[in-house]
Amino acid sequence: MAPLYVALLVGAVLFGVGLYGALSQTNLVMIMMGVEVMLGGAMVNLVAFWRFLHPETYSGQMFVLIVMTVMALEMAVGFGVGTGRFRAKGSVEMEEARDLKG
Amino acid sequence: MSALLAIVALLAGAYFVAVLEGWASTGRFRPAGPVLAGLSLLGRESVVPRRPDRIFFEVAPPLLLASAVLAAAVLPLAPGLIVADLATGALFVNAALAYVMVALLMAGWGPDGAYAMVGGFRFLGQLVAYSMLIVMPVTAVAMRAESLTTTEVVASQAPLPNALYQPVGFAVFLVAAMAVCFLPPFDLPTAPGELAGGVMAEYTGWRLAMMRLARAVLVVTLASSIAVFYLGGWLGPLLPPWAWTAAKTLAVAAAMLFVGRYVPRVREADLLAWCWKIGIPLALFNIFFVGVLLLVV
Amino acid sequence: MLLQTVFLAFFGLAAIWFAVVVFRTSSMVRSALALLFSQAAIGTMFLAMQTEFLGVLQIMMMATEMAIMAIFMVMYMMDPGGLSGMDMTHQKRVSIAAGVLGTAVAVGTALLVDWGPIAGVPRPGAQVHDLGIELMERSMLIFETAGVTILTAMVATTAIAIGPRGPRGGVDD
Repeated sequence: MAPLYVALLVGAVLFGVGLYGALSQTNLVMIMMGVEVMLGGAMVNLVAFWRFLHPETYSGQMFVLIVMTVMALEMAVGFGVGTGRFRAKGSVEMEEARDLKG
Repeated sequence: MSALLAIVALLAGAYFVAVLEGWASTGRFRPAGPVLAGLSLLGRESVVPRRPDRIFFEVAPPLLLASAVLAAAVLPLAPGLIVADLATGALFVNAALAYVMVALLMAGWGPDGAYAMVGGFRFLGQLVAYSMLIVMPVTAVAMRAESLTTTEVVASQAPLPNALYQPVGFAVFLVAAMAVCFLPPFDLPTAPGELAGGVMAEYTGWRLAMMRLARAVLVVTLASSIAVFYLGGWLGPLLPPWAWTAAKTLAVAAAMLFVGRYVPRVREADLLAWCWKIGIPLALFNIFFVGVLLLVV
Repeated sequence: MLLQTVFLAFFGLAAIWFAVVVFRTSSMVRSALALLFSQAAIGTMFLAMQTEFLGVLQIMMMATEMAIMAIFMVMYMMDPGGLSGMDMTHQKRVSIAAGVLGTAVAVGTALLVDWGPIAGVPRPGAQVHDLGIELMERSMLIFETAGVTILTAMVATTAIAIGPRGPRGGVDD
């Protein structure tokens, strides 16, 4: 029982730290890093549930693989968008992104 | 006991590679060269740059050494002689080699110097080029072995070594392995004539000795991985298994070191273009080809 | 069981500590590499929970991803070295409240729900084999959709990042 609770606790704290980071940072890259930390906490929970409660159904591990894929993809697309924004405006500060045009 | 033997074998291999590298770059064969160079480096003054990023500056050489040793820990030297027989050994080699990148990035950013930073960031461009090419041929090798365990990979080559079964994958992996341990012609991060040593420029004294040792261990690890994945590891007719492993590893290391004398340094843009436009389609064709061979033949 | 709890707690604390360092430090490259070590600690937690394939995969992928993120941070951030001491945060109280609330809800759910009995785990070799079978038989549709999504994301990102033709941008070859 104890390892399950330790893993769930760690996942919960990682989620909180990631949420704090995603909400408090002004730069696009730092916001994405907050989202990465949140997804890391979610993955810890997923693997703990697979290992301690249902080790016979491998869809748990599939889910973790998909979450890892999504982490990589959202970083890639985020950096593409950041590159476009940097070319248009000269910075990726999200405080300045108030208009839909440009 | 077997772990100790494996470490001793790794250090012996690193010594041989250092002697070979000295022979390849200077043209003179000096068997006591690495010992003398190491002792002289340890005796010299250790100069630290003025305002380094201290954590990165200190951590980079041990991390490079640790990643090379960890990658070598899952490669078998003989049927029972392996430090850690992981079930995902073939993938673990790539995971440990990814931290070579982290160590060189730290070594580039840490010393707060121009040559080091340019060298470190050039290695990142090299990583973008080689990282696909070093993982995809391993996929085809694991397909033939039907397992990711390195001992199974060697055992599956008993009929025919993978170098003859999947020659395209062998060529691609050889090129990518030379790019991982930044040997000439892929020595963009250290670039002796152009960047005055690049990532190793700001290291002196015992830290430079540790980085050079790490570099030699990295070359041995990659040569050993080529021998395990493509040349059949310890399989062979007459000699004992460990002798075959040693011979194959040193032959591959010698080939990788001596080819660099005859090919000019590959430019960053050319390396990226060739690896992505030619290398990745070749690796995909290799996977398809091995799949057809396994399912049909 | 005790050893597993100790390892999980140690690497979990390392992951949390590095994640906090990500947002507390002002040097951008340190922030990216702290995120790398946080994700590597998460990967080691996977290894401690005996899912070998996922742990090794996490450690490998995150090293490459975060190193590339370090490059992008040096390109786009205003102060990559972190020596000028700017404060780059906003709505501090709201975000701390949201973080604490999120943690409290998750911890409460974890402690108050009755999870049921703990089960044993298969061997790593059998796990890799069964994960492969699962991937190729039952979850093939998910796998293929993920593959097409990756391809679409690659094409979209390259299209955004290349830029307009003409003197301001475009592909030069």
